[in-house]
Amino acid sequence: MAAELDDLKGMWLDLKARVDQLAEERRHYLEFFEQSAEAYVVTDAQGTIVDANGAAVDVLQRRRRLLAGTPIAALVALERRTEFRSRLQRLVAREPGAPRRFSTVFEAPELRTEVGVSLRLIDREGVVSGVCWLLQPVQ
Amino acid sequence: MTASAPELLLATVTAVRDAIVKRLGVDSLNPDAKREMEMALEELNVMWKELQGEVDLLLLENTRYADAFEYSPDAYVITDLGGTVREANQAALELLGGRRDDVVARPLTDYVFDADASTVEPMLGGQPLAGPAHLRRAEAAPLAVELSVRAIPLKEKGVGGLCWLIRPAA
Repeated sequence: MAAELDDLKGMWLDLKARVDQLAEERRHYLEFFEQSAEAYVVTDAQGTIVDANGAAVDVLQRRRRLLAGTPIAALVALERRTEFRSRLQRLVAREPGAPRRFSTVFEAPELRTEVGVSLRLIDREGVVSGVCWLLQPVQ
Repeated sequence: MTASAPELLLATVTAVRDAIVKRLGVDSLNPDAKREMEMALEELNVMWKELQGEVDLLLLENTRYADAFEYSPDAYVITDLGGTVREANQAALELLGGRRDDVVARPLTDYVFDADASTVEPMLGGQPLAGPAHLRRAEAAPLAVELSVRAIPLKEKGVGGLCWLIRPAA
């Protein structure tokens, strides 16, 4: 029994060390995302927001806690929404010639913002699991 | 960052824990010792679930934020304070025209023309925070870019680094 307990203790320490390492990695990438002056949004492949950094919250003019789970298309001005959805679908379907940059209009209560959008698929071994968006307000 | 290491540890510790449970079933074990072991095991289970939850959350968040870096539409390179490349995202690899193995561990200054060294080297020291440069690219024409830099902690605890945004000049 003592041998098993020793093994367990050793593995526990290894696991704790790995957790500490994961925590450092999380801090590293979180700092990259959150402290960026550029507005980034991560969505799933259908365009549902998973996370938005502080700069993106400023561009979208919505409360952060309300953004997660919201389809990004729902934040686009009504008259541009169909076009926006179509662009996303074409890109996720890897349609040849589907542009990775375009402009659109985001609408919040009492505010419309024209935004240049750049996006890149989160693509692991051919499977699209999400989209990373850069939002740049048009000056 | 891979999920395999913690998952392997979780599986191994679970196996050891199962071995202890099996030993508890042996009749020859002293009743007091057995009770003590059962209590210890219960405590271990609680701690185990907490740690497992922590690992799951860390892996989920790590993947999310690491994806934001790796798949950013913008080209980013992370260097140490001396300017040696530690990480480059996919957009940066496309811009530099190199494979990850070629880019990582090389000085970032290898990718800018000598004439621009006077722009980049002071940026390593933290000032200025942005400036123009021309990228030297493998099998592609030089590219005028705007570099901007900010401080970022590296993955190693307590080690500082630099995060470089590389954008084609307008």
